[in-house]
Amino acid sequence: MSTLIQTEIPDQLMLQAKQMVERGWAVDINSIITESLRRYLESHQEGLSEQFIREDVEWGLKGDD
Amino acid sequence: MTDPLPLSRGSVIKVVSDAGPIIHLDELGAIDLLADFQLVYVPDEVWIEVERHRPQAIRRIAAQLSKCSPPNCERVDSIKAVYSLHRGEYAALCQCMVFKNALLLTDDTAARLAAKALAMNAHGTIGLLLRALRRSHLSKDETLRLLREIPQRSSLHVRPSFLAEIIEQAAAFSPAPRFAR
Repeated sequence: MSTLIQTEIPDQLMLQAKQMVERGWAVDINSIITESLRRYLESHQEGLSEQFIREDVEWGLKGDD
Repeated sequence: MTDPLPLSRGSVIKVVSDAGPIIHLDELGAIDLLADFQLVYVPDEVWIEVERHRPQAIRRIAAQLSKCSPPNCERVDSIKAVYSLHRGEYAALCQCMVFKNALLLTDDTAARLAAKALAMNAHGTIGLLLRALRRSHLSKDETLRLLREIPQRSSLHVRPSFLAEIIEQAAAFSPAPRFAR
């Protein structure tokens, strides 16, 4: 299942995406956008943010610097 | 807030900051905690971002900040797209690559992930507040107050129940005993 979306993308970004498709790095623009969104969501997960803050707490309270 | 920290006592570690911690600490009225580092390197792109969102932060801690223009770095280039890094984050990571064992200050998850991929140390605003408690630059009461004020006074987002957990840990903190040499 998929959802059709309409969005504005900066010209330069679109140009780079087209070049990637032309060079064979991606099947089409749709796959680049889907992959970009997937990677963005992966790297901004709440669990991940909290894991980093836990590391901050450990460093803050128990660090040796 | 405690008295401003004497510059000469600052930690000697090389520190590079992204915009987040500078903005968040200033929002909390705790920007002077950065004075615990001898110098904080701030790439041009980050400087511009802070000036746009929180110009007073730069003025308050200007003597502690060193504006820099890091060269592009191939290793950071190679992961820039993967982590959707913005210009400031990218520049801060490049500046960290200039130094050995630099500490990156950032509250951005993607930048933290990228730092991990590059084997860099990175910590954020909450780490800095708790470090100040450990190093006795903030009292426990001040630290707890600042942590509690994060949702109201700062643009740093932390899930309320998670923040409560952090506050509990800070409240339970007792400094390690120091032995006479």
